[in-house]
This record gives sequence, C-alpha cells and structure tokens, in this order.
Amino acid sequence: MKPPSMSIETVFSSKGRVKILKILVEIGELNISEIARRAKLNYTTTNQHLQVLETSGIVRHKNFGRIRIFRFNIDDPRAKNIKGLIEEWSSRSG
Amino acid sequence: MFNYTSLFKDESKLDINYIPPRLPHRETELNLLNQFFRFTVETPGKMTQRILVVGKVGSGKTALTQLFGQNITREAQKRSINLHYVHVNCRECKGSLFMIIQRVVLKFHPNYPKRGYSAQELLQTLMQVLDDQKAHLILTLDELDALIQNEGSDALYTLTRVQEDRQTPTQRLSIIGIVRDTNLLNTLDASTKSTLQRNIVKLQEYTQPQLHDILKDRAANAFRDNTVPPQSIDLIAELAVLENGDARYAIELTWRAGKYADAQNAHELLPEHIRKAAGSIYPTIRKDTISLLNLHQKLLLLGIARRFKQSDSAYLSMGEAENAYAVVCEEYGQEKRGHTQLWKYVHELSTLDIIKAESSGTGQRGKTTLISLPKISATELETELRKTLGA
Repeated sequence: MKPPSMSIETVFSSKGRVKILKILVEIGELNISEIARRAKLNYTTTNQHLQVLETSGIVRHKNFGRIRIFRFNIDDPRAKNIKGLIEEWSSRSG
Repeated sequence: MFNYTSLFKDESKLDINYIPPRLPHRETELNLLNQFFRFTVETPGKMTQRILVVGKVGSGKTALTQLFGQNITREAQKRSINLHYVHVNCRECKGSLFMIIQRVVLKFHPNYPKRGYSAQELLQTLMQVLDDQKAHLILTLDELDALIQNEGSDALYTLTRVQEDRQTPTQRLSIIGIVRDTNLLNTLDASTKSTLQRNIVKLQEYTQPQLHDILKDRAANAFRDNTVPPQSIDLIAELAVLENGDARYAIELTWRAGKYADAQNAHELLPEHIRKAAGSIYPTIRKDTISLLNLHQKLLLLGIARRFKQSDSAYLSMGEAENAYAVVCEEYGQEKRGHTQLWKYVHELSTLDIIKAESSGTGQRGKTTLISLPKISATELETELRKTLGA
C-alpha cells in the first residue's frame, strides 16, 4: 500500500471532517447516512470528507453489499493518536 | 424508610428470563445437544448442523437451548474458537426473516443501518461478517412457528441452505429451531422438511415429581431459608401438572404466590397464597403477550372477546369482528381504523397465537377471514383487556 501523503493541515482544515472524526471516536463504526445525520451535514459533503479522511489513511471502510461502514484505521498509528486526542479533548470540554 | 420484610432472597431467580446453572430432568437432552454440536469445538468450520427442539409450553425448550449456548461458548472460548450463540425469538420479530437476521447482525455491528436492503442482502452481510471475523454462529430460532406462518417455507429454506451457495469451504452457520408441534413442519416444502427432520430433540412434559424437583431447586435460590414448606411446593407442582406440566407456569405461580405472601406480611409461603395466585394467572395468554399489543389491537381483541361472550358460535367473520370493534372504539372514544389495517391486526394477533384466523374458503358466499378463540375463554380475555385498557 502506498504511504498516504496528505498534510495534517489539509486533514484538520475542515470543521466537518473534525466533526466526523469525533463521531467515529464516539460510536466506533457507522454508515454514511448515519454519519451525515449526526454531523448535520448533507450526504455528498459527508461522502467527500470521508474520501479525504480515507485517502489520508486515518479512516477506512468496509463494504457489506451496498452498504459502506466507516471506522478508524486502527492499523495506522496516527489514527490511534488522533483518537486519543479527541477522547482526551472530549473528556475535558464535553 | 418503610418497614419492609420479604420472603424473597433473590426474586430474579424466578424471572422468566433467568437461566439456571442446571436444569433438573433435562440432562439427557442437554447431552444430546452437546453431542450434536461437538464438532463446533472439535473441528470448527468443517460442518454445520440443523436441529429441531420440540416440546410443549413450559417444557424447558428455551432454557435448555440457552443453557446449552452458554456452555458451548464457554467451552469454545477455552479452546480459542470464535463461536457465538445467538438466541432470537421469531414471535418478537413478528415472524420476519429480515428482523431476525437484523438482530443477529446488530450483535456484531451494533450501528449497522436499520433500513435500505432486503433480507437476502442482510443474510449475505451476516455471512460476510462471520467470514471477516472468522466466527462461527449457532443461531437459535425460538418459536419458529411464527417465521413459518409469516414467511412460509422460503425463509427457512434460505437459512438452512445459505451455506451451499458459498464459495468458501468454511461452514459457519448452524441452526437450532424451537417449535411446540412438529405438525407445523407439514406445511414446509419437502426439502426443507427433510433437512430439519433429521435431528429432533423431543422434550416430554414434566411429570409431577419432576416439577417438584425443579421448584425445590428454584425456591431454594429465590426464597429465604425455611420459608417455603414442602406442601406448598407439592401444591404448585400439582397445579402445574394440570397445565400439561408447564414449568414456566409453575415458576410464575411461585413468584406470584410469594408476592401475595409478602403483601400479607406472612412468614411462610402457604397454600392459601398459592391458590390466590393461581386465580390470577391466565395460563395460556400471559400479561407480557397482551402488553405487546398496541391500543387498537387491544380494542379489536376486546370487541372479539365480547362478541364471543354473547354468542355460542365458534367462529366470527371478519365483518362481525369489525362491527364489534367499532362499538368498542365508540366506547373508548377512539377513531376506528380501516378494514385493511384491521385485517393486518387480525393476522398479527393470529401470529401471536392469541386468536386463530383462517380463510373461510369456498362454500360460503364470497370469502372472509374466520376468527376463533381456541386458547382462552372470552370472559377471561375481556377482564384482562379491560384491566390493561384502564376501564
């Protein structure tokens, strides 16, 4: 697999992406529609954000027939650290 | 603080959902199940099994399979085999294959989307999940009758044959079906029937001494020491034998009698409390079934019960039931539902086994649904419904 080359500022430059990351930390794994509903974003935007996150290597998805389920890529150490950061952040500020 | 003493030490031991660590007089059947499923812990993935557990109400079918499930998953864990046991009640799932499989999938992926695909797709998802996690599954379909009544034999056929369409040689899904009566199998197509009929575990009704043993066991765990005299246990066992050896009835009766005893601040569970409790239980339809119903299903049922009370005939036509329901709606100040909705309710009530609905067939003018109440007296049903409807 080719190492992801996206810069950190690209990944975190969007409020929507951070929201999505927060949701994935909280729930674990979800399909796009449900992520969109919780993040109060529309489907297309959510899909685009998820694509960015997936290209960066932090998030990955699995297909079950027509349904795609997204989750943190636990094999990537950065994903683990981001998860830790969000958890720590939420525990202090809610 | 109010002063409150109770005969109970732990009343959860008399709960319907409690699975005791041992089931008196079901050792042979438990062993048989263990033998049937030995391969899951010895050579997992090499084969699968389809078993049918048959027995009357309260003969220990559910408890037996759940205890078996606990034991076998524990054994698999010891051997580092990823084996899951999932117990689904088809009646609670309204006999829908989709809802049944969905429950199973949600055990593995709790946030899996709830809508947007067919039962077949969901079944494929389930198999994929099992493959991904290298997991094996024993799926118990409790009250399988509901699934067969609702979806016919196709659903069961799909479930029992899902392994055969797969590319991978690893076998992952075994099925245990629980039914009260094997006659139901006659409605299935020949191939499904033959797949299921090969292995049957039959549970006989409990006899009085057996019920006595079971109750002694449960009472010892549920009540404080020396509060349940032997003659009380004898009486409960005797009453339960009259209900075709229904152990669930016996246990519910024991719990209720305990409540009556507590209410009187008694120091012992006496036959008088048991007699009082027995008067308050309807053996065939329990409160939990009635509480599953929505308001209009209850109103419809009340209408049906009243009409049966007034007439001597064994059947009501759909039209008569609708008229009776309209009167009840007026009484309760509710707007009545339309014909199609009521027809659906009648079928749901029939799936729940409260009423029986069958098509009149030819011979009459036109075709109608004939409704009968084979299991409970109309008077009892009416009283119970009026209680829950609050009038």
